[in-house]
Amino acid sequence: MSFFEGHNFFGESTAHLARLINNINTGIWEYNTTTKKAKWSDGFYAILGYQPGEIECSYHNFFENILYFHDKQIFLKATHYAGTGPAPLAQIRLLTKNNGYQWFESSALKHDDDDGQFIHGVLNNINKYKLAEFRAAEADFMAAETGRIARLGGWEIDISSMALNMSREIYNIYELYGDIKLSVDEAISFFEPAYRPVLTKAIDDAIKYCKPYDLEVLFKTAKNNVIWVRAKGIPIINDYGSCVKVRGIFQDIDIIKRSGLSMQSSINLLDDQNKRLQNFAYIVSHNLRSHAGNLKFMVNLFEETKTENDKEEIFSHIKTISDSLSATMGHLDEIVKIQSEISKERKSVAFETIFNNVIATLRANIEASDTQISADFSEVPEISYIPAYLESIFQNLLTNAIKYKHPNREPVINCYTHIHEKHVYLVFEDNGMGIDMKRFGDQLFGMYRTFHQNKDAKGIGLFITRNQVEALGGSIAVESTVDVGTKFTVRLV
Amino acid sequence: MSVERKMVTACIIDDDDIFIYGFKKFMEIRGVSAEILNFSNGKEAIDYLKNPFYANNLPDIIFVDINMPVMDGWEFTQNFEEIKSHMGKKISVYFISSSVDINDISRAKNNPAIEDYILKPISESYVADIINSHDISPGFISMN
Repeated sequence: MSFFEGHNFFGESTAHLARLINNINTGIWEYNTTTKKAKWSDGFYAILGYQPGEIECSYHNFFENILYFHDKQIFLKATHYAGTGPAPLAQIRLLTKNNGYQWFESSALKHDDDDGQFIHGVLNNINKYKLAEFRAAEADFMAAETGRIARLGGWEIDISSMALNMSREIYNIYELYGDIKLSVDEAISFFEPAYRPVLTKAIDDAIKYCKPYDLEVLFKTAKNNVIWVRAKGIPIINDYGSCVKVRGIFQDIDIIKRSGLSMQSSINLLDDQNKRLQNFAYIVSHNLRSHAGNLKFMVNLFEETKTENDKEEIFSHIKTISDSLSATMGHLDEIVKIQSEISKERKSVAFETIFNNVIATLRANIEASDTQISADFSEVPEISYIPAYLESIFQNLLTNAIKYKHPNREPVINCYTHIHEKHVYLVFEDNGMGIDMKRFGDQLFGMYRTFHQNKDAKGIGLFITRNQVEALGGSIAVESTVDVGTKFTVRLV
Repeated sequence: MSVERKMVTACIIDDDDIFIYGFKKFMEIRGVSAEILNFSNGKEAIDYLKNPFYANNLPDIIFVDINMPVMDGWEFTQNFEEIKSHMGKKISVYFISSSVDINDISRAKNNPAIEDYILKPISESYVADIINSHDISPGFISMN
């Protein structure tokens, strides 16, 4: 039943109404704009902390002493509202007796009467809510700022509807601006293709098996910037243990990740160099040890032997060992030179020129073995490289191809340059005896590794070639089939 | 009835000609009465051992180097293990290498098919002892 039923209050009618208005815990006021007289309810005094009548009830007192000066405009605007419909609510600060300024909500209504023009108003204390609002706004601001600075946003998938909700910062990372809402699939479509199935599976597993995930993946923004992001999700379960939501974070970690990756590649490079040095030290010591051992062996034998003939033979062996020792020292010099020459300046060199120089020095070998060499450097005619290295690469790989020719046919060597994804490759193909990659593949570039019973084999050429190529940041790969031939692919840069 | 001691046959597999020469000479000087076969890599030795033509002249002791072209000491051991049971006599295998690589040494020590790992330069008297003290297993009795 409404108070207003039949346009009549029940009971004592007006007196009842007046008591009602007076006693409720809300400030109610009336102002006669003609007589300038104001009336305040008991509740009006109460909400300001006063006893009824304790302060002067006047518009002047209210406007000048109680209403915070900053809020005067707002109060007037709301009170003298000229539009139609309910008057707007104004939030204003009023000075209370004991608690300083507090926030109130004010609403007012104009009303014309035979006795003049009235304005009625209601005031409610909203201080608690207002402060909570400020705190919430501060917290929001802090969260948004933290997200903006950390390039980190939050998201949530509601499993029943599969609706995705993402924070503002995530849209910023997506470089999507304006009022856009993405579905889960659309959100995943921004990840680089290789990572899409990974994300899909991670989310599926979170939903199905309540499995959390934490991934670092590549992502392409709406403006086609490819960046590294961290996508972490955790399942939220209900009382029955099934996943109802997946909640997570999404962060732009591009700078950290890229510096991490470049650090890792430096570590790998150092690691490789370290391994090579260790291998080198081991090999050199092994080689020197075996010469030294043989030398000692022969010297002992020389001392124990009686016959002149034997002594002569032993001495010839000692000479051989001495030569081998000198050769080993020469190899050592060459390897040390690789490291010292690396600081030499790279020059633009034409493959053709280097090739012709090397062919000229190998002329005798080529003619003796009836080798046919074809070369095509049209795809990449020149390169910025250390000329001595390039010459040595040609020298070693061509010499190898001739040295390990097939016993039943004349050697045919094909060498050419080629470019792929900004890398320059130098390729040598031969029809030689080939090498059993399964057995020797991993030792092919080792020092003093020889695989054929060949008197010229020293096991030093490929070792040096690989070191030169790697010292300049390249790599060397080999494919081979026994009795068919071998293909060396050198990635120069 | 006295049994005449048969001459021991030793086999050396090494790609280093100087080492083989020295090895043979030393055995001669030390008066080790052994017949010495030599091969320059594992494959040559395996081919010999497999050849029925040489079935009556198999070695009693094999000294094998590790680093050799074509077939190295490890591959030789592997291949030898496969044909060992057809040899008709016990053959002892020793590794002789200048490798001080801890991996090589422990790999050899942990392989029951390898009697010992002898580091180059070898002690001639140790090798002479191995040959001299070798008990010749009762040989395959020839039917002809």
